[in-house]
Amino acid sequence: MKLLWTAFRLIWSAAPGAMWRGALMFVAVLLMGAALLGLSGWFITATGLAGIAGIGIAFDVFRPSAGVRLLALGRAGTRYGERLLTHDATLRALSALRTSLMRRLSRLSLPAMQRLRGPLALTRITADVDALDGIVLRLGLPVAAALLTHALVFLVLRWLTTPEMALTIALGYLLGGGLVMLRLVGVTFAPSRDAERANQTLRQDTIGMMRGRADLFVQGRLQTHLAALRETDDAMREAMTRLDHVDREAGLILSLLVTVIAGAALALGGHLVATEALDPARAAIGFFVALALGETVMPLRRGIAEIGRIRDAAERILEHDEQGTEAPRIGGAAHGAGIAAKALSFRREGASADLIHDLSLRIAPGETVALVGPSGSGKSTLLALLAGTEPGYRGEIEVLGQDLRAFGERELRAVLTMVPQRSALVGGTVFENLALAKPDLTTQEADAVLEAVQLAKVVARMGGLDGTLGESGAGLSGGESRRLVLARALLRHPDVLLLDEPTEGLDTQTAERVLAGIRAWLPEAAILMASHRRAEISSADRVFRLS
Amino acid sequence: MSRNSSAKSAALARIDRAARPALKRASYALTLAGVLWPVQAGAAALSIQAWAQGNPDGLLWAALLFVAIGALRALLDHWAGGVLFRMADGLISEERHELLAREAGRAEQAASSAALAALAAQKLPLLTPYLTRYYPAMTRVKVVPVVLLALTFYISWAAGLVLLVAGPLIPVFMALIGMAAKQASERQMVEIGALNDLLIDRLSALADIRLLDATKQAEDDFEARAEGLRHRTMAVLRVAFLSSTVLELFSALGVAMVAVYVGFSLLGEMQFGTWGGELTLYYGIFILLLAPEYFQPLRDLAAAWHDRAAALAVAEEMDALEAIESDTVPGQGGKAAPLAGIATLSTRGAVVLRGGQPVALPEIDLVQGETVALCGPSGAGKTSCLLALAGLVPLAEGRIVVAGTDLDEATADAWRTRLTLIPQAVHMPDMTLRAFLDPDATGGGLDTALKAAHADGIVAALPDGLETRLGETGAGVSGGEARRFLVARAILRGADVVLADEPTADLDPDTAATLIASLKDLAQAGATVLVASHDPQVIAAMDRHIDMPPAQKGESGA
Repeated sequence: MKLLWTAFRLIWSAAPGAMWRGALMFVAVLLMGAALLGLSGWFITATGLAGIAGIGIAFDVFRPSAGVRLLALGRAGTRYGERLLTHDATLRALSALRTSLMRRLSRLSLPAMQRLRGPLALTRITADVDALDGIVLRLGLPVAAALLTHALVFLVLRWLTTPEMALTIALGYLLGGGLVMLRLVGVTFAPSRDAERANQTLRQDTIGMMRGRADLFVQGRLQTHLAALRETDDAMREAMTRLDHVDREAGLILSLLVTVIAGAALALGGHLVATEALDPARAAIGFFVALALGETVMPLRRGIAEIGRIRDAAERILEHDEQGTEAPRIGGAAHGAGIAAKALSFRREGASADLIHDLSLRIAPGETVALVGPSGSGKSTLLALLAGTEPGYRGEIEVLGQDLRAFGERELRAVLTMVPQRSALVGGTVFENLALAKPDLTTQEADAVLEAVQLAKVVARMGGLDGTLGESGAGLSGGESRRLVLARALLRHPDVLLLDEPTEGLDTQTAERVLAGIRAWLPEAAILMASHRRAEISSADRVFRLS
Repeated sequence: MSRNSSAKSAALARIDRAARPALKRASYALTLAGVLWPVQAGAAALSIQAWAQGNPDGLLWAALLFVAIGALRALLDHWAGGVLFRMADGLISEERHELLAREAGRAEQAASSAALAALAAQKLPLLTPYLTRYYPAMTRVKVVPVVLLALTFYISWAAGLVLLVAGPLIPVFMALIGMAAKQASERQMVEIGALNDLLIDRLSALADIRLLDATKQAEDDFEARAEGLRHRTMAVLRVAFLSSTVLELFSALGVAMVAVYVGFSLLGEMQFGTWGGELTLYYGIFILLLAPEYFQPLRDLAAAWHDRAAALAVAEEMDALEAIESDTVPGQGGKAAPLAGIATLSTRGAVVLRGGQPVALPEIDLVQGETVALCGPSGAGKTSCLLALAGLVPLAEGRIVVAGTDLDEATADAWRTRLTLIPQAVHMPDMTLRAFLDPDATGGGLDTALKAAHADGIVAALPDGLETRLGETGAGVSGGEARRFLVARAILRGADVVLADEPTADLDPDTAATLIASLKDLAQAGATVLVASHDPQVIAAMDRHIDMPPAQKGESGA
């Protein structure tokens, strides 16, 4: 309940003004609907009576008939306004929520980012956010508006008809409708949640299948995976079928309820007229209003059936809300001092010994240092420390003569660029991939940087800078992707460049040319590259060995 | 992609055909429920007339009849709803599976994984409202308004005339708005796909985006997409709200005019409109109760028109995806008994198409237990060659002969059962390392296999050992470590053909030597090993090497 309320407030608070106006209009629509039918029924019956009594001329027909027209038009117009307001406000809230979820992810620590499962994060931002759209539109607003409408209608009916008539209708709807809704909450909660979970699993596993399908084929497991997808689908269908069953049953009961209440109003009206407690025209009001109020309860079941799904999604969205964000720091960096580490030590969480112990290193501008050492000796970790993505170190790191800890994220990225071993490209054109590093990139500069990393011919063959790459950069060979990633880094024009196995996947000749191209592009940069290839090591000014 | 009119979509035509029998049954039931309303209306009118005539208590049977017919109508609705739901549920599920199986089998992916997932799980269900509402509304609209109109005319031609004039305006207006609705729906579908495309790529590249200081830009891009989706969705809703409002106005005005006419007639101020004789209170209330139900089927059809627009947009996306012609991966990707014969491998004049470019394979002849390096500059097609030998890419020309038989549709699955492919970039599915390495849960051999691949130490260093879930691209272990896991898996599977793509990338010479030794061990045990590499250490360690042929004439600037 608390979660639902939090989610309700989250959606409501995006545009509370519009929501309040929409809510008032919602009540107005329901009231006008009841008034319209009630007035019409009274009008016809009263005119009929007047006609029978032969006093037709004295009867004021104009005000009631104007009222009928006004209510008819007003109701349609108000409903239009209400829908526009509340839907627009809800969509705004959802869009803002999506953006803030994305923002939260981009504040994660770098290792957490690399461990992030794309499909899971995707459904969080798409399906879970979509699931919240009903909480105001189909749950909060209709329930509140229905309750308010019944209260007001009760008062008016008591005044226009008799307390018995008002009570019969109000109690009929409140008790009958309330019981149906309460039961519905209980019965739909689990299937509604299960259906949404299965749907998200279906999405995640579809993405997983498409991304891993080469391996699935070779392992002979593609059919197994497809069968598993079918199982998930069956679970979803089973839950949906249960929901449909409950929903139709509730629809049936509510239809019967409306019919019985209207029938009761009809019978009671007859009784009241017979005992002369009420005149026939006013008795007709009871019957017609009872019929019209059906519209307050019929739509509720849709929202009720979503509670399980909404609550579950809200829980997932709100669970890690406490992630702190990184405050940008201010500091002025002096150019031209390279990068240095003094007495640097680092121990992995839970490890018994330092991975990096008392290390000191200095790389001057224009100097290239190769970082060598066996796998697991901490080459990538050292690069991560120097790049400021692994904060838990002891000792000191200075970038351009300033303490690394004094840098804000954006200031650091402006002067230092790291290319990790596993770098991802994105779907889209070659130019778009490059422009990620430099928003105001020109085509001349793009061509030049591609030339520097020996990729110009490959890109020309793909159709130039507008040539497109598939999902995650598909369409390039391993070595070509590597070079595009390097080109992207060069466009940052960093003072310090940290490279992890930069020429992996390239033949020796190409590797040598690429390394020369990098140096020519950045003559003044301090470059450190983790490496084991002869081509890389021989291109360096000196070698730094980790053991 | 979108054709000018709402003409035939192949997918929708196919679904319509399959849905027909259930649609008919349900539509008849719903139509019957609609036609029964006059009985209820008559009962109510009779009661009220009795009140006016001072005979109010005698007609309790009329109130009971009102309830009984109401219950019957509710039951009919309930039954038809069940028939429609089961039909739509079954059809959509079948479409979903055909879609997934077809896209999984393509040699070259036609839609991004996230866009496909959105189509299968988010967009296909949009066919449900169309299937359950459009056709029944269409059937009802042909019967119910006609019956109610005839009844009204029978009592009063003037009231009938009001309905007759107001009614047909609705379909006309609906058709006009329907076109706008379809266009809006199409744009919304495209935007959903685009948002998913963007997200899945950006989520995988979050770390790179951070290192390139492009976080702000990526966030802005995403915000623009999210806002774009909001605008597109709102555009769809706006058309739907506007049309339903206009239709509500038409019907409200129609009902109000009938009410006013009835009122004036009952007062005796209007003396026309009936077939002689006066309009009684009974008839007055009766035709007043008929009027809203006369408009209701027309309004339902208008609402269903929007469902149809959304369904058309989805169906056209299905059509477009289906129309992309591409080769399929040979075989089914299912379990098969290993292909019989000695583990040999030859190619004869084989050419594959990659991204429309022909890539010629070298003439290969591998005998059992041989270790061979496949060499060539980067971009020469080494990876394509390995994929073709694994039967993952169909041949455009020539043939590949494995274990003495042609590698084709019929033999691919059996061939792959003997095979292991170690790619450059390992994709780790969302499962524990144990489930990944030992999918059939044979259990016993896993430790031995890990030891043989020198991968036992890597497992020991992981926080949860074999129960660890690695990142999608293997985050948690290095690239070389992920490849050693695949070697372990090959050993466990008993694969006797091993294809490895740049297996020593990112490895220092000592670790590379360990990995090469593992591959040589496999060969020693009888496996045939082909390694694509330009690493001199690898090339030197293999028995011999094969060079990729020079690039084809189709390529420019080579």
